[in-house]
Amino acid sequence: MSRFLVERDGKTHFRPMKGLELTAGQVVLTLLGIVALFAVPDITSATALSFSIIHQGILFGLAAVGLNLLLRHTELVSFGHAAFFGAGAYGVAVLSSHYEVSSGFLLLLGAIAVATVLALVIGYLVAGYLDIYFALLTLAFNQVLFAFVLQSGYFNYNDGLSVRVGGDRPSLLGIDQWLVATLGTDPITAYNYTLYYLTVVILLVMLVVTWKIVNSPFGRALDAIGQDRTRAQFIGIPVDRYVWIAFTLSGIYGGIAGGLFALLQLHVRPEPVLFVFVSGEILFMAILGGIGTLVGPIIGGIVLIYLLRLARFYVEYYHALTGIVLLLVVFVLPKGMLGTLPEISAGLDRRRQDPTLLRDDVTTIGASIRERLYRAVSTVRIIIFGVK
Amino acid sequence: MNDPGISAAEEGSIERRDILKLVGGSALAVALAGCTELVGDDDDATTTSDNGDIPDEPIEAGLQTFREGAPAVLGLQAEYGAETAVRRINANGGVAGRQIELDIVEEGTEQLENYQQFVEEGKEVTFGPISSGGHEAMVPEIDDQGVVNVATDGTVTTLYEEDYPDTTYSFRFQNHDVMEALSAAIEAVEILGADNIETYAGVNPNYAFGEDEMAIFRAGIEQLTDAEEVYNGTPDLGAPDMSTHVTNINSEEPDVVFTSCWGGDATLLLSQGQANNMLDNTELVVGPVLYGSANDYEEGDLEGPIYSGSRNFYWDQPSTDQWSPAADLFDEVQDEYGVIPTAHFMSGYGAVTAWATAADKAVRLLGRWPEQEEIAMILEEHGFYTPAGYHVMSTDHQGYSNAHFGEIVWSDEVGGAVLEDVNVYAPEEVSPPPGMTSLDWIGSW
Repeated sequence: MSRFLVERDGKTHFRPMKGLELTAGQVVLTLLGIVALFAVPDITSATALSFSIIHQGILFGLAAVGLNLLLRHTELVSFGHAAFFGAGAYGVAVLSSHYEVSSGFLLLLGAIAVATVLALVIGYLVAGYLDIYFALLTLAFNQVLFAFVLQSGYFNYNDGLSVRVGGDRPSLLGIDQWLVATLGTDPITAYNYTLYYLTVVILLVMLVVTWKIVNSPFGRALDAIGQDRTRAQFIGIPVDRYVWIAFTLSGIYGGIAGGLFALLQLHVRPEPVLFVFVSGEILFMAILGGIGTLVGPIIGGIVLIYLLRLARFYVEYYHALTGIVLLLVVFVLPKGMLGTLPEISAGLDRRRQDPTLLRDDVTTIGASIRERLYRAVSTVRIIIFGVK
Repeated sequence: MNDPGISAAEEGSIERRDILKLVGGSALAVALAGCTELVGDDDDATTTSDNGDIPDEPIEAGLQTFREGAPAVLGLQAEYGAETAVRRINANGGVAGRQIELDIVEEGTEQLENYQQFVEEGKEVTFGPISSGGHEAMVPEIDDQGVVNVATDGTVTTLYEEDYPDTTYSFRFQNHDVMEALSAAIEAVEILGADNIETYAGVNPNYAFGEDEMAIFRAGIEQLTDAEEVYNGTPDLGAPDMSTHVTNINSEEPDVVFTSCWGGDATLLLSQGQANNMLDNTELVVGPVLYGSANDYEEGDLEGPIYSGSRNFYWDQPSTDQWSPAADLFDEVQDEYGVIPTAHFMSGYGAVTAWATAADKAVRLLGRWPEQEEIAMILEEHGFYTPAGYHVMSTDHQGYSNAHFGEIVWSDEVGGAVLEDVNVYAPEEVSPPPGMTSLDWIGSW
């Protein structure tokens, strides 16, 4: 066996790095996912899918991956993660519009620095709180930041800041200019595609980093904290400090995503990146894709951005659509789109082997509907006539 | 050394082949990596023929405007205006025979994304937005995409003066902010006399638009009079209470109150002002955007010396009795939508009209359907009529037309607010000459 292949349970596993072992099926799925990511520009040009929306979805999904680090392992719900997405975006915008920084690399570093500092400060102040208090504190900090930016002339109020220096796009490590000079690519296409591929590379790196974090002793400690804080403290885990570190790491993801979002949109305004509803959307993305999975939040990000950005072009009551999707996820896919896939797959397998199970399904669904209708009627009766 | 026998284009193709080899040897490999666009396409050259044909298919147009929430007070008027213009254009044979199909979408906070989506859908022209911040975000994108956009509003003064003085494809129909804020200052002097204005106060929404309006009014009134600012209130958009500002005004008793509050904020300020006798403690309220809530006022809200402007139009201002498209407008709008058309109605109407008349002119000049760049070129210095009078799209891509200011009063006949004793201000009276910024120009008075 080579160092990349190991035998486990009678099966050969591929081991790209220490601790990460993938079955043949997982390798195929991973490769398909990576190929699909790299082929997105061609897929979108050959179909009605939108390249820009998928790119935005990936960026919000990256922020959701960061939020999921907190949500999945420490079981703390943050309602304020748009603060870090917005901090990253404004970090880029301030550097380019006030200091005329035109290097995309430096702008992104600035985004990470701003988001990190902010996450360190907010994380320090909220790490000792639990449940609804933690959620409300994060919400409050997000709202304070939003109001501060909205009312500040430095950030140009709600009109926001441009990311172009002298009308030009930032330079993306010189790759975009190289494409223009060498291949004769249209400058806008060169910029957008270079930024997209940089995003994909960063996303893949961040996913590997996430995997390493959650499978490290530190990740296990976070799991322990999520399961029972008091017991975690008893076994010697410095809970508040670990939550603080996890919160800061989580914010950094948001900062990177926000910085890339600013480079993509080239103009940053408070509402799309800092408003508290955006925090709710990032949270929804993680739940929609599946908080128990690594890449679920990315899928959730793409799907939700599609719904938020494009549904208005086709459905009059597009706000209701996101609500309906949330209801469906809660009732039908409680582990999210990706998280429920194994259960669906196993269920289909069982039904293929034993078709009589389908009859039981119909009976179960019928009973469930009857039970819910009965509950609804009972509730209405109680509302109208009271409890007797 | 380059072979003199090989043209530059051929050199480029050889280099491209080399690069294809490097990345995998075939175009298919590049396509699988999603890079097809990066290596360009020789067939990308424009396919528009010069054979004089006018396409048969309808013109696909997109409008983004506020259709829900508080800003819908303005946005729906723009939507009705744009629809009315399209209906009239189509009823009269379309633009060079082509009917217009208008898709309308809620602008929300995604003005940039909406424009991008319109372009992806293949729209030939886009209209909107209302939001000035959204418009600012859109302008460089519009120039990148090269699909003409005529903004209905997005009237922030600095946009074309300072931020984007050299835009190509981005235009704005409606008069910009400086025109209404200066109209308000000049109107105050007309009504009270410069010597009688010693103090003034402001109540303006706490965002870029409100800050800009107050800054321009402040500069204007202080140049025209020796007045001193005694209070500047900045309520949030959609503020639930204006009583603090009313109380402060009652306490300071300024000669003039300037407010650029609009929508529900305007109705709340006036109704709470009436309830607390604000109009007894000031000589004059000038509100350039009060007209925007015309359909929401009650009779009691408008008692007292309240003067309002309109960027370029308010029902019957300018007079609509001489020209049938204008004369029929009020009844048509009442029948179709049951509202009084305001300046924001004209924002939508005018944006569509600006583009359609320019495209029609271009067809007549060129004898074929024009390219985007040609329509953009024609739109510069393009003059055209709407029921609000004559408009010019200047070389700086800003729309200019007369501004109106008069007393806003209740009309039983109309069943809403109308303007009386209207003064008309020509664009050159209330806006700087091209190439000059508003505050510099006001400072030079």
